[in-house]
Amino acid sequence: MASLSRRTILATVFAAILGSAAPLSAASAGDMRIAFGDLPGIESIQTLAAIERAKERGVNVELIILNDEDLAAQAVVGGQADVGIGAPYTLIQKVGVPIRVFAQISTLRFFPVVNSEFYKEWKDLDGQEVAVQARGSGTEAVMLLMAKNHGITLGNISYVPGSEVRRNALLQGTIKASIVDAANRRALEAEAPGKFVVLPVEDLGASDEALFATADYLKNNAADVDVLVEELMKTAREITENPAVAVEFRNKYKLLPDLGAEADAEITEYYKETAEAGALAPNGGGAEAAADDFAFFSIAGQIEGDPATLKVEDFWDTAAIDRALAKLGKK
Amino acid sequence: MASSIRTESEAVGFAPLSGRGEAAGWQDHPILLRLISIALFAGIWEIAGRIPVSFAFPTFSDTIIAFFGLMADGSLPSAYLSTLQPLLLGVVLSAFIGVGLGTLCGLWRTGEWLAIPIFIVLQAAPVAAFIPMVTFVYGIGLTAKTLAVMILALPVIVLNTYKAVRNVNESLLVMCRSFLGTRWQSVTKIILPDASPVIFAGLRLGVAAGFVGVVLAELLITPTGIGDLITFHRSRADYAEMYATIGSIIALSTLTLVFLQWVEVRIFRPEKRGA
Repeated sequence: MASLSRRTILATVFAAILGSAAPLSAASAGDMRIAFGDLPGIESIQTLAAIERAKERGVNVELIILNDEDLAAQAVVGGQADVGIGAPYTLIQKVGVPIRVFAQISTLRFFPVVNSEFYKEWKDLDGQEVAVQARGSGTEAVMLLMAKNHGITLGNISYVPGSEVRRNALLQGTIKASIVDAANRRALEAEAPGKFVVLPVEDLGASDEALFATADYLKNNAADVDVLVEELMKTAREITENPAVAVEFRNKYKLLPDLGAEADAEITEYYKETAEAGALAPNGGGAEAAADDFAFFSIAGQIEGDPATLKVEDFWDTAAIDRALAKLGKK
Repeated sequence: MASSIRTESEAVGFAPLSGRGEAAGWQDHPILLRLISIALFAGIWEIAGRIPVSFAFPTFSDTIIAFFGLMADGSLPSAYLSTLQPLLLGVVLSAFIGVGLGTLCGLWRTGEWLAIPIFIVLQAAPVAAFIPMVTFVYGIGLTAKTLAVMILALPVIVLNTYKAVRNVNESLLVMCRSFLGTRWQSVTKIILPDASPVIFAGLRLGVAAGFVGVVLAELLITPTGIGDLITFHRSRADYAEMYATIGSIIALSTLTLVFLQWVEVRIFRPEKRGA
C-alpha cells in the first residue's frame, strides 16, 4: 500500500514536471528567434535597442540567452534559433555548417593592462608572463599581434577565463600583466587608480559580435532580416554621433532593468569610448570587415589558409547590408 | 588496455568458480561478451556519427584516429601530467582526511554533531556552484583545483566511513568486550575491519567524484590539462579531438575504479576473493 501511494506521488510529480514543460515549448514559436552567446550586459544596449525597434516595425523577436557563443551557433544550425550573435568563422570553415555572417555589430576592443610597479610599456613585457582568456582566444591573438608589432616575444602565457577573474587577480597581484575588456579596465582604474598602465593597442578591425543565420533563413526571411539590419545600422550611427542616446535607448525600451539606475553613468562612459574608437559598425561590416576578420582570426589560429585567398562569400552573405545601405546611404 | 585490466580482475574473481567447474558455455567467457558489447557500442557510435546526429558529433573511427593523433603529438600525455597533479593530491588528501574524520565522527558524539551536518550539506549541494567561490578565495592555481577535487570527493568518503563505523555489528562489539578487549582493540580489530567494505565503497565513490571535480575545475577555473584540451578543441571545432579527450578521461576513471576494486579484493580483503 505504502509503495503504491509513493508511486502515485512520483507519477503526480512527473506529470507536473511534464505539464510545466509543455507551455514552455509551445511559447518558443516566434517570427525571429535571436540567440545571444553571452549574458547581455551594457555592451549589448545597442543590439537590444535595435531589436526593440525591429519589434516596433512588426518583427516578432524572441531572445534566447545562451552561455557560450558555440551554443548560439549550434542553436542556429539545429534550428532552435534563427539568428545568432558571435563570430562563427571557425565553424563555417572547419565544419562547413551552412551559416553565413550577415552583419557586423561591433569590433573587438581589448585592453592590455600591466601592473605599473613592474611594467610601463610593451618593451617591458619581453619574455614576461601574461594571462589571457584561453588558448586560441581573441585576447591571446591581440597580445601575440601586439608583441609581434613591437618586436618582442612574450614569455609564458597562462590562461585565465573571465575578464572579471583576471581583474581580481590583477588587483590581488597574482598576475602582473593581462588583457581585459572595457568594463573591467574601467573597474581597475576606479578601484586602484594609478596602479595599472593600459598599453596602447593599434586599431583592431576584427569582429567582436556579428549576426549570423543559415543561408536558407536569410533567403526566405529577407524582409525580417532587412528590418533588423537597418535598425542595427541606425542605432550604431545614432550612438556614434551622440553616445548619450544609449541611455535614452535604455530608458525608452526599459533595457537591462536588473542593472539599476546607477548603470547609466557606466553606459554613457562605455558608449562614449566605443563611439570614439569607432567600434560600432555603421555600415554593417561586409567585405571590409571580412578581410579584417580573416587577418585577425588566422593569427588567432581560428581559421586556416592565407587570409588573402579566403573568399568573402564563403563566410558572409552581404545581401542584407547591401539592401540596407542602398536605403540608408553609406556613412 | 581497458579489457586487459578488467580481464585480470575478472580472472581473479572467477578463478575459484571455474576451478570448481560449475559454470560452462558462453558465460565462461566474459571477455568475449565484453568485447562484443564494446564492438556494439562502437558500431552504434559510428552509425550515429555518419548520419550525422549533429555537425559536432564525430564518428567513432575519427575519434580513435584523433586519440592516436593526440597521443603521438604528446598533447594528451602532457595534459594528463598536469591534470593528475590536483587529482592525485586531492584524492589522496580526501582519502586520509575522509577516513580519519569519518571514523572519528562515528566514534565520538561531539565530533559527529560538529562535522557531519557540514558534509551532509556539502553532499547535497550542487558543488559546481561553489567552484567560482573557491577561485575568489584561493585564486586560480593548484590549491583551488585540489580543493575542487576535495569538495567533491571528501563528503562521500566521510559519510560512508561514518555510517560504516556507526553501524558496526553490535554482537561483535559485545564479543570484544566479553574477551576483555580494550577500546583501542575494539577499534582496530573489530570496528575498522567490519566497516571496511563500506569504507572501500566510499573511497571508490570518492575517487569517481574526484574525477568529476578535477574536470569541473579545469573547465571552470583555468583551462589546463584535460579541461584545456576539451575547451581548446571545442573552440577550434575539432570535435573528434574533443571527444577523444572526453573519452580518454572516462576510460581512465573507469580503469582506476576497476583497479581499486582489484586492489581491495586482492590485498585488503582476501576473504572476499572466493565469495
